[in-house]
Amino acid sequence: MSQLTDALTSKTATGNGAGAEPGTGKHGRSPGKKPGKAPKIPQGRFSVHFAHYKWLYLLLLPGVIYFAVFRYAPMYGVSIAFKDYVPFLGVNGSQWVGFQHFEDFFSNPDFPRLLGNTLILAALSLLVAFPLTIILALLLNEVRLSILKRTVQTLVYIPHFLSWTIVASLSFLLFALDIGPLFQFINGLLGTHIDILSGPNWFRPLIVLQDIWKNTGWGTIIFLAALSTVDQDQYEAAIIDGAGRFRRVWHITLPGIRSTIIVMLILAIGQMLNTGFEQIYLMTNALNRSVADVFDTYVYFVGITQGAYSYSTAVGLFKSVVGIVLIFGTNWLAKRFNQSGLF
Amino acid sequence: MIPRKLSLAAAVATAAALTLTACGGGEPPAADSKTVTMMAPYLGAQPPNTSGAVQKKLEELTGKTVNITWAPNASYEDKTNITLASSEIPQVMVVQSKSPGFVKNAEAGAFWDLTDKLKDYPNLNTTLPDVQKNASVNGKVYGVFRGRAPMRTAVMFRQDWLDKLGLKAPQTVEDLYTVAKAFTQQDPDGNGVNDTYGITIPKWGALGTNSPYDVIEEWFGAGNRWTERDGKLVPSFETDEFLEADRFIKKMIDEKLINPDFATFDSTKWNEPFFNGKSGAIIEVDSRVSALISLFKQANPNDFQNKVGFVGNLKGPDGKLHAHPTDGYSGFLAIPKTSVRTEAELKNVLSFLDKMNSKDVSILLNNGIENVNFTVVDGKAAPVTPETAESKAVAEDIKSYSQLGTNVRNNEFYPVKQASDYEQKVFDKRTDVMAQDLKSAVYNPAAAFVSPTYVAKGAQLDNIVADARIKYLAGQIDEQGLKDAIKLWDTSGGDKVTEEINKLWKENK
Repeated sequence: MSQLTDALTSKTATGNGAGAEPGTGKHGRSPGKKPGKAPKIPQGRFSVHFAHYKWLYLLLLPGVIYFAVFRYAPMYGVSIAFKDYVPFLGVNGSQWVGFQHFEDFFSNPDFPRLLGNTLILAALSLLVAFPLTIILALLLNEVRLSILKRTVQTLVYIPHFLSWTIVASLSFLLFALDIGPLFQFINGLLGTHIDILSGPNWFRPLIVLQDIWKNTGWGTIIFLAALSTVDQDQYEAAIIDGAGRFRRVWHITLPGIRSTIIVMLILAIGQMLNTGFEQIYLMTNALNRSVADVFDTYVYFVGITQGAYSYSTAVGLFKSVVGIVLIFGTNWLAKRFNQSGLF
Repeated sequence: MIPRKLSLAAAVATAAALTLTACGGGEPPAADSKTVTMMAPYLGAQPPNTSGAVQKKLEELTGKTVNITWAPNASYEDKTNITLASSEIPQVMVVQSKSPGFVKNAEAGAFWDLTDKLKDYPNLNTTLPDVQKNASVNGKVYGVFRGRAPMRTAVMFRQDWLDKLGLKAPQTVEDLYTVAKAFTQQDPDGNGVNDTYGITIPKWGALGTNSPYDVIEEWFGAGNRWTERDGKLVPSFETDEFLEADRFIKKMIDEKLINPDFATFDSTKWNEPFFNGKSGAIIEVDSRVSALISLFKQANPNDFQNKVGFVGNLKGPDGKLHAHPTDGYSGFLAIPKTSVRTEAELKNVLSFLDKMNSKDVSILLNNGIENVNFTVVDGKAAPVTPETAESKAVAEDIKSYSQLGTNVRNNEFYPVKQASDYEQKVFDKRTDVMAQDLKSAVYNPAAAFVSPTYVAKGAQLDNIVADARIKYLAGQIDEQGLKDAIKLWDTSGGDKVTEEINKLWKENK
């Protein structure tokens, strides 16, 4: 590992140094290790560079092949978004139809509803679930009793390992009309009759609550890791200056993990439109479908169950393009505000 | 150490499998006339044993090696669509319905057109030409249909509750209302608490799927999916009877005669409230009668009689019986051209299917193996008692193997002899009631027709009305809202569907 880091560092060093002091940087090192190797290949600079680092490139190869085969090659299939794809005729045999499917989709009455539902659910999870993760991490970080901290941490991780099917079943048990204990509790409390499972107004709160219950604990991992890197001396200095706990969190802890928060936020925004197919699919029913249908469930419903592959591919492609725009947009914004972006 | 070795073995196996598929991917090997590949759904918790007695006997009787890919029934439709888009297509595919994906492929030429071919095979030459037509795509037969008794609709109720309240079995929809109301309000279980519902309806909303809603609408005279009005076919939901029927259902829901969680209640739990004494009636296929009786019998073998009562279809408000039949088939066995390339190969596969529908194989697929899991008594198949491990295995396997049975010449296997005289009596009564109702069956006049617009977006269109129906019943929208949804169906492409269906109907009259 350290050899690799060495090599990587020297790569940048050479790359920069080559222009300024031709030869010296490289020859200072290479002849010592492999005498005579570099002079034997006097062609262009790239081949020299390549020959020198061939083992590193070899290490890179499996990664490149993996991405080429499993990530880029399947993109060929995206072309069916512009065709009238019939499986029997194959991708090549099907007719080109241009942007027909996109036009159909944008002019479909489903489109505004899907876009609205997807964005609202995504925004809710970004505004509610994401800050909660940070707050929980901060709270955990303030716990001084190590054994208590570890126990709580482990306990809040557990829901993450339950599948959505189990979470959905639990919700059905708890909120079942007339017999669920939580249903009875809430309705006893309010004295009214609230059907949380199928009431369209309750769908979004329910989804966000499930999401918080299942994922908040797990999400704290990365923030806790970031928190552990904050300089302890600063806290001591602050304590001497008379800063209280809240002040210390506000002025030291939060700025300390700011770059982590930004990176996580960019990643979260990139994933924004992936609203979690399983969870939503399991909680959808005829009564709440108007607020529940999102791009992911729609693609499944139209594409897989009805065999309209081209149309649903177009929908999926649209979703991906929006996702890319969001990632680049947030990244650009982060840089504008002098934060380190993702790339 | 062992896990590490195992994972190494797994890695090697995966690599080997990848290499194999890579080789097979390009050009499928020339069809081996001794082997037939099939794809079918399985209904048990697990796919049947591929080296079990049923499989062996099947290969012995047909003289072929039969390779069946079993896929779970719940996701079979998805699996069909995905398989059609893959390169690994079996020679015979069970297709469960004329789904848009199937029709699209069929019209592009993915399946052999069997319209003029089936009559050459004695066991495939159907005695039910109407059902064959129903299963066709606008008259073109793309598969050997899997025949089912067309009349299966029944109303099942707690006979003990009915007796206790001194009521008679319902005959009309008004009777159903009376019974449901009494089951809800008159404390039929005698526990002094108002904790029962009249009828249980599960989450089952899609249009034209023989759901309790479809059945009640038909009883009211709305027709079966499509109905003829003034010399024209219209969708059932555009009739006044449809609205009338839904008003009737809504009234029962509003008065809490139906379980209030009908929109989310899981259909796999349908029997529970009935058995537990929470709810008194179920509207579904009559075979559920037997399932319910066995539940009571399992719980108490000494007191299970007269717990479950049933009647067939109910008379509508017009005093007439509009009985609800199915289309007489449950999907079909189609032969893809990708895997069966020449006429010679097709003949080979068809003669195999012909054997599959012979009396011997039909008995194997539906009854099992004689003297292993059943014996013939008075022309009926009586399960062997006591059960052995062997008989259990066969009985479990044929639940799934029966999915391969086509019975296009009516059932040639043995009817099952029921376990007790009481159950036999109920079974015989079921047969009688259904035969009687069949005379009043109102069929779907458009069953054989597939309109291009419907293929393109029919399922999404139907969803508009199906969801609105549930919303209306739950009180989320009013009747005007339901009517608006039906209008929306019209304007979003439904009008075109109606036009195309009528054109096909006139052409084929």
